[in-house]
Amino acid sequence: MPGGPGGELDPRARSHFSAELDQLRLQVEVMAVRVAQALDRMGRVLATGDEELAARAVAADDEVDAMLVSLTERSYDLIRREAPVASDLRFLVSVLRVLEELERIADLSLRVVKHAGEVPRLMSNEPMFRTLASMAEMAQNLYRTALDAWSAQDLGAARALADQSRIMDGHYATLLDHILALDGPGAAPLAVSAVLVGRALERIADHTVIVGERLRYLLTGDPAYLAAEVR
Amino acid sequence: MPVESTTPARPDAPRLVRAPDPGEEPASGELFEVCDLSVYYGSFRAVRDVNLRIPERCITAFIGPSGCGKTTILRCFNRMNDLVETARVEGRILYHGVDLYDPAVNPVEVRRRIGMVFQKPNPFPKSIYDNVAYGPKVAGLKGDMDEMVERSLRRAALWEEVKDRLKASAMGLSGGQQQRLCIARALAVDPEVVLMDEPCSALDPIATGRIEDLMEEIKTSYTIIIVTHNMQQAARVSDQCAFFTTEVNETSDTRTGILVEFDGTEKMFSTPSDERTENYVTGRFG
Repeated sequence: MPGGPGGELDPRARSHFSAELDQLRLQVEVMAVRVAQALDRMGRVLATGDEELAARAVAADDEVDAMLVSLTERSYDLIRREAPVASDLRFLVSVLRVLEELERIADLSLRVVKHAGEVPRLMSNEPMFRTLASMAEMAQNLYRTALDAWSAQDLGAARALADQSRIMDGHYATLLDHILALDGPGAAPLAVSAVLVGRALERIADHTVIVGERLRYLLTGDPAYLAAEVR
Repeated sequence: MPVESTTPARPDAPRLVRAPDPGEEPASGELFEVCDLSVYYGSFRAVRDVNLRIPERCITAFIGPSGCGKTTILRCFNRMNDLVETARVEGRILYHGVDLYDPAVNPVEVRRRIGMVFQKPNPFPKSIYDNVAYGPKVAGLKGDMDEMVERSLRRAALWEEVKDRLKASAMGLSGGQQQRLCIARALAVDPEVVLMDEPCSALDPIATGRIEDLMEEIKTSYTIIIVTHNMQQAARVSDQCAFFTTEVNETSDTRTGILVEFDGTEKMFSTPSDERTENYVTGRFG
């Protein structure tokens, strides 16, 4: 029967599929919240060097990995069963990409966490450590913006992400300057730790930007946003 | 495919294919221009105000819910609605710049140039050979009939399967083979356009795949317009796509078909401009 009462579109058609897409969106959000918690733990480990918290952070990552697998499978299954097109297809392929990014961000947070034992040494160089702390805060803020954008499917917030991420590039350049200025005994291990931690924080920001770009693709259908990851 | 000029039915009839004026730019690639087309069955307006430009040598799909007028519109392209007594067409369909509904245009000549394949395979209860040879014989085409039958069957990707039993009845073929025979029969009179009205709806997926491959092959030589209910088929085979829907008439309980959106197929199935198209292709409006 074409149309519904009064010729309006009949919203009942394929309502089951719509409900499954809504549910998937919420589950991605749940996974994203888990990753936000991982970033929060990362921030605290970097600030305190708390090795017990670091161990908990590593253990918690298994849950994120499991969610990646199960939600990826769910997405494949919906694609197989429902042959989605238009916004539904954009949603599902974007979910698949976002899931990978979230998992990646969680992994990168562990790279920082695994340097818990090095935190006292990093703190010994105050200007350099301040830069690292700013980068961690920046990464968490960017991620929070991405999470809010995804939850609200907010194009404006997604757009803001790309601009904010440039500040991170500035921090990273400053960090490298600090590292290059290191000398004296113990400079080499300190430099290695700082590079690894700084690089992980910078990558978290990059992957967060991709989440935002994917959201822009999802909402606008403009393929220009698919190129974010290769820029 | 070269389009030869035709002998008009009456001396004053416009030729279906306009001879280009000297120094005229080559054709823009648009074969049909549909202007403000409405079709009535008696006083009931089945479809209204359709405007479309259909380019040549590609596949155009008409999609939309039942009753949206897509078959009605398709049948206007070769004046099949002339055969329905109550049907009346308003507006124009220009074919090579000539209005198909000009009273001076001979509908038989229109149907020779613009062939049709129907939903259900409808071979004549004759031999495979005679099915293909029928059109050219009626049209009075000259030439080697055996060669012409073989060429048409080859174009319809049926030759290898039937070359040893050309004199056997067409009714003994499978549904998919019968439909390809109907396509061969349509191609035999050397048309420029093939209209297809849900040509695969009675076929299994393998036979459907063969027909779709065939469409892809012959579109380099023919312009194809297909009506289909199968969204994935439209997405697979067509180059552009027209989405029709219905609107309820205020004064009666009837529905009239309208064209909602016409664009490249990729666009229609990835980022349609109209919300109604989005709702239809995603299946939210059944």
